[in-house]
Amino acid sequence: MNYQPSLPEHNDNVSHQHPLREFLFLLAGLAACALAVFWALGLAVDVVADHVSPEIETQINRAVSLRLVAKESFAPRQEAMLQALTDELKQCAGVSQPIQIHMRQATEANAAALPGGHVIVHSGLLDKVASRNGLAFVLAHELAHFKHRDHLRALGRNVLLIALSAALSGAHSDVTQLLVPVNLAGYAQYSQQREEAADREALRTVACLFGHAGGATEFLEAMRATEDRSSTPAHYFASHPRTELRITALNSAIRDLRLPVKPAQPLDKGQ
Amino acid sequence: MENLLLWVFLVALGFFFGRLAESRHYRSIVRREKEWLHLPTTTSKHPIGDAGDMPPIARSRLAHGSVVVSIDYFKRMLAALRSLVGGAVQSHETLLDRARREAILRLKESCPDADQIINLRLETSSISNGSESSIGSVEVIAYGTALYFERKQ
Repeated sequence: MNYQPSLPEHNDNVSHQHPLREFLFLLAGLAACALAVFWALGLAVDVVADHVSPEIETQINRAVSLRLVAKESFAPRQEAMLQALTDELKQCAGVSQPIQIHMRQATEANAAALPGGHVIVHSGLLDKVASRNGLAFVLAHELAHFKHRDHLRALGRNVLLIALSAALSGAHSDVTQLLVPVNLAGYAQYSQQREEAADREALRTVACLFGHAGGATEFLEAMRATEDRSSTPAHYFASHPRTELRITALNSAIRDLRLPVKPAQPLDKGQ
Repeated sequence: MENLLLWVFLVALGFFFGRLAESRHYRSIVRREKEWLHLPTTTSKHPIGDAGDMPPIARSRLAHGSVVVSIDYFKRMLAALRSLVGGAVQSHETLLDRARREAILRLKESCPDADQIINLRLETSSISNGSESSIGSVEVIAYGTALYFERKQ
């Protein structure tokens, strides 16, 4: 037997396909599957949210709502004014459950609806609005979240997100890191849709109360003046649409619904 | 959001440096394999060549070469994605190919004066980074018997 030293002509032990191609192919496929699953299950959540009886909704809200400590309000007159305006809006907004306003001392102009009929209003919000109509729009937006049962929808989707990531992390934690952001983007997209719906509902509510849509965009315009205009990819993960887009959508809705626009009423801030 | 950016950064880092390290390693492997082609190496238990022509064996010794190579972040992600759908884990193929060839080269380099390496064996073991499900790096050990013939005076 003759020994002939030689090197192999080509390497058959490795694949010669570019790894990036395989990576992008797998990634796109899995991300699409994850989004499709999240979307389909999200629709199921919507169906459930629409059909849950008010009693069950109250029970769920009671289970998840924060125990707000009743403490002395730092601005009782302002809080009473906000409460009165909210109560006036309730009929037009189609909300029958009791809504309680809580003022918080914070410079950031913001308001939030919490499950169980609580609306948190930051004191900084009152610096941004000058008219009753402008303030009513913000409150009507929060009331719309109650009317649309957005808390139930958000709760259902968050449970989905946690369940999906737990199911995946059981299989492989590295992949969870990858697919959760994809689903978060899907969730943010959904949340932005809900905000748009709440804006439209709020517009109808203020038009019903005041008979015109004047001052509806006042708060958003004040926010636009102060916010950072730079466009970043972070927008795709934000819970709210860009202020600019919200104003445009409101203005086109005012035109479409042929709502009259009259001067807004000045606000008595109760100070 | 930050997690996603970090992830993209790590994958890009793994891809770039992993490719760089791999192509440098392959260049070195190909060059050294040519250099060591003169040393006959076999998996057979018997020396290569006809018994009549072969000089007597003066001595033999155990020779071994081992290497530990780590997977990069890009390969790990690619393998993780692949593990969900199944199929050939191509990202690990080059890693193990390099490890095997490097281990054999190190074995040869450990006995430069040997006349033959016989009974060559390869073994692979994974060194997991704490977590049981993921492979951090692999060790490949090559071992065999180095034969030294009697030199003609």
